Amino acid sequence: MSEVLKPQFTGARVTRLEDARLLRGQARYVDDFEYPGTLEVAFLRSNRAAARIQSVDVTEALAVPGVKAVWTFADCPITLPDRPFQVGQPVLARDEVRFVGEPVAAVIADSRYRAEDAVEKIRVQYEPLPAVVDSRAALADQPRRVHEHRPNRFLHKTHVTDGFNEAFQSAPHHLELTFRWNRQTGVTMETRGCLALPDPVSGRLTVYAGHQSPHGLRGMLARLLKLPEHQVRVVVPEVGGGFGIKAMFYPEYVVVAEAARRLGRPVKWIGDRMESLLADAHARDAIHEVAVAYDDEGRILAVRDHVIGDTGAYAFPGFPGAVGEANWATEMLTGPYKIPHVSIEIECVFSNKAPLGPYRGVGGPIGAQVQEAIVDAVARALGKDPVEVRRANLIGPEDFPYHTPTGKVYDPGSYGESLERALALVDYERFRKDQEQWRAQGRYVGLGLCVFVEPSAMAESEAGSIPYEAVTLRMEPSGVVTAAVGTGPTGQGHETTFAQLIADQLGIDVKDVVVLHGDTDSAPFGGGTGGSRSGTIGGGAAIRAGQALRRKLTQLAAHLLEAAEEDIRLEAGKAFVAGVPARSITIRDLARTAYTDVARLPEGMQPGLEVVARYQPPGAATYSNGTHLAVVEVDVETGFVKVLDYVVVNDCGVLVNPMIVEGQIHGGVAQGIGSALLEELRYDENGQLTTTSLMDYLLPTAEDVPRMRVEHIQTPSASEGGIKGMGEGSLIAAPGAIAAAVSDALAPFGVFVTELPIRPQQIVAWVQAAKTEAQAG
Amino acid sequence: MIPSAFAYERVQTVEQAVRALQANPGAKLLAGGHSLIPLMKMRLATPTRLVDISGIRELRGVWKKDDRLVIGALTTHREIATDRVVRTHLPALAEAASRVGDLQVRNRGTIGGNLAHADPSSDLPAVALAFDAVFDVLGPEGMQTVPIDGYFLGPLVTALPENSVITAVSLKLPPSGTRSTYVKYPHPASGYAVVGVAAAARVEPDGVIDFVRVAVTGAGDVPYRAQAVEDALLGQHVSDDLIREAAAHAADDGSISGDLFASEAYRRHLCSVYVERALRKVLSRG
Repeated sequence: MSEVLKPQFTGARVTRLEDARLLRGQARYVDDFEYPGTLEVAFLRSNRAAARIQSVDVTEALAVPGVKAVWTFADCPITLPDRPFQVGQPVLARDEVRFVGEPVAAVIADSRYRAEDAVEKIRVQYEPLPAVVDSRAALADQPRRVHEHRPNRFLHKTHVTDGFNEAFQSAPHHLELTFRWNRQTGVTMETRGCLALPDPVSGRLTVYAGHQSPHGLRGMLARLLKLPEHQVRVVVPEVGGGFGIKAMFYPEYVVVAEAARRLGRPVKWIGDRMESLLADAHARDAIHEVAVAYDDEGRILAVRDHVIGDTGAYAFPGFPGAVGEANWATEMLTGPYKIPHVSIEIECVFSNKAPLGPYRGVGGPIGAQVQEAIVDAVARALGKDPVEVRRANLIGPEDFPYHTPTGKVYDPGSYGESLERALALVDYERFRKDQEQWRAQGRYVGLGLCVFVEPSAMAESEAGSIPYEAVTLRMEPSGVVTAAVGTGPTGQGHETTFAQLIADQLGIDVKDVVVLHGDTDSAPFGGGTGGSRSGTIGGGAAIRAGQALRRKLTQLAAHLLEAAEEDIRLEAGKAFVAGVPARSITIRDLARTAYTDVARLPEGMQPGLEVVARYQPPGAATYSNGTHLAVVEVDVETGFVKVLDYVVVNDCGVLVNPMIVEGQIHGGVAQGIGSALLEELRYDENGQLTTTSLMDYLLPTAEDVPRMRVEHIQTPSASEGGIKGMGEGSLIAAPGAIAAAVSDALAPFGVFVTELPIRPQQIVAWVQAAKTEAQAG
Repeated sequence: MIPSAFAYERVQTVEQAVRALQANPGAKLLAGGHSLIPLMKMRLATPTRLVDISGIRELRGVWKKDDRLVIGALTTHREIATDRVVRTHLPALAEAASRVGDLQVRNRGTIGGNLAHADPSSDLPAVALAFDAVFDVLGPEGMQTVPIDGYFLGPLVTALPENSVITAVSLKLPPSGTRSTYVKYPHPASGYAVVGVAAAARVEPDGVIDFVRVAVTGAGDVPYRAQAVEDALLGQHVSDDLIREAAAHAADDGSISGDLFASEAYRRHLCSVYVERALRKVLSRG
């Protein structure tokens, strides 16, 4: 009775129901909502990394026509909460600025043009302070403390497995590598923004914002504005990309909402690209000092990792980025490999840079690159094929559930199988032969692998610590189902995938399920979207809600058709008696009866067809996996890297919609190419961010992203529907695969990549140094 | 990313444009707008008035006049890139124009605007230098000509007289039998030349180079003629070694500088790589 007989939509390449409006430009984003009398905000942001504010003179700014208010902290004295570290960010800088881009003052005017004119007329007197920009120096509180009242190092923790020292010391071989990932960010096509609408009659505040967690945003706003939660309505319309960046709570939202309340007018702020690069959550920015112990066969016996993470000036509420990065990277450090011993030390510091938050994959990309580079380095040291060393270390099918040395329990996956299939797709043996010939011709082509494990659907993530999701279903009298969900999609296609799951439970067409999300007035309380939780947890809730509604429909049909409930089938828009298809009633008729012909309902049945279901998966997490394989060619004269071929074999359990999964992979690989080869937020020694436009923060374009081949393996999870999360795996794996491919291409020059992104001029310098050395030798 | 307030004026003749510039000290000319508008949005340029010359018809077109190719200042990159006369007589110019920015930029951007703006990473200056460009300029004093030699004074600074308008650019056609090309390393975001090289050469049947021009853009504060490279090639027999040795001098005549994407040392290296690649294209036999 609980089994759906023939899933018609789950697993099918259903065209995304969202796309018609998105592709026709008819979707509405925050900035598309226009209300008469809207005021606009422009922020004056700090141009210093560290300075005491001596005075802020807003007189001239206030005199600009159309300016309604100019606020500093004194006018809006609200500070974001940060219980653990006591360094909450004031929504407008208070006494001191701690990073370039920190909001110092807000101008509220009748247009953004005038607001920006007024911003230029605010006079701030700064007393400069030495900027803390180097994380190693910051550890020793050099040149100073970012927050006077506390040391820069705000987190220090260690995890050492029993017997590590002995295993490490008795190993026959050792190597050491230091990895550095520079700062990057998840560049959303739509910048952050919000629009707050006060209702003077009810005192209620409606806030439109591009956000991944509608209820999380509502809770924070209510708390900081001291409003009861029901007095704040958050509406998340279409969102042009989130990637974790939009899961955070930012000071601008408080200023805009407070301005709307106090001025009694709609107030809007849309960040421009410069603001976005200055003050959206940054990511990565970590150093991993790694030591590896291994044997003659290439089996890795123990790994030591010392992480230094730089979280910037403040900790985002609930998600200090450096901690998230370091935790994920080290918890997943052994990836798909049977490495029995680890010794991990994490140190996180404050600095005078923008706050670090989550970006797709969080520490996963770093962890995966480290884990794969370890394997490649061992292979290179032993003169073995990197594939052989992987085979010698991989967790096998017989090892599940696998307990990692960092305390994780992997559910079954297809680690070895994904690797072998990826190799077969490029004909690995042949590639190695071709590679030799190309090298002889002066062409430097390399192949890189990343066998990744992706934790998903965790109880805690950047979407908060809500381990469940909820779905309410209402079948209308027409038989069409309205589903309301608490997730916060930013392009992932929930309207399609949840509709697929629900339609299969009810035996109706996928187009007859309308999925609503993002409006806290209609959506059930939810954690939102982040940590690859929506498919597994939200999808599970959708299935559970569908099952609950199916039970009621079945009950009603059994009564009307005078059959036993267990004989009723729901399929193709009809309820019928198994084996007697002629004894049937349409689901539409069932729905109409449930609402308007209630005399025919069985005794005791409530009229109507509405259910709510909540779902929490059984495990702490479920682990997707797969293999990325990149083939690149390096022009050693210019340092230009071209990706020639790219293969992904992905296993995220039961596929709900392969097309959407592949779309996720394509996007993640594109971001991974950016992470490995292009993207870097660069601060100079004074803490100035020098990459404040997309002319300097380099993103991959369509030309840089190859056509990729994606294949699937389906190892079900124990979660409802067998689903595993997969939103981040592609960005977790791609940078490591690209980095490994570049190392492989440049192996004749002795190059081994440990710092990302890899810059063309670095490649040229490596090659020239190797040539000089060869000549000298 | 919102410009400060400015007035806007559309003129129908070059004379009107000159008068508008004279009357408004903070005024700037607007042609294609693809260099100026981004600067204004960042408030790096804050003209009080834009004088829009894009509607002046007679400033468009390409024609051959004696041994020169004359190009109206408002001729777009796309028009130049697809022009039959240009493609026949100055393929390097067509190649350079075809690689400016992206299609939208090429459809709007003009040769006059490009060379007046004098972005040191722009593509066309290399070609203008290689082929002895001369500007026809209308100013308050009337028509005059300005040679390319000494024209680029610094980033975004030129020797154009004040309150004047470029009406046409003419390039000297090389001797018949010359091959020319433009190659560049495009900046991954902007598409501007990290290094761009225009090269032209003619090789006599006996293998002696009797005409050669090499100019480099993108590498420093101003684009430059690579005189040292030309000197190393002129009158010599073509050979692989000769090309490599000449290309080693690619940066000699420039004041090379570094930026976020490319350090000075890397740019010097790229100058040699791209001069060598350009020379191989114009000097290879067959």
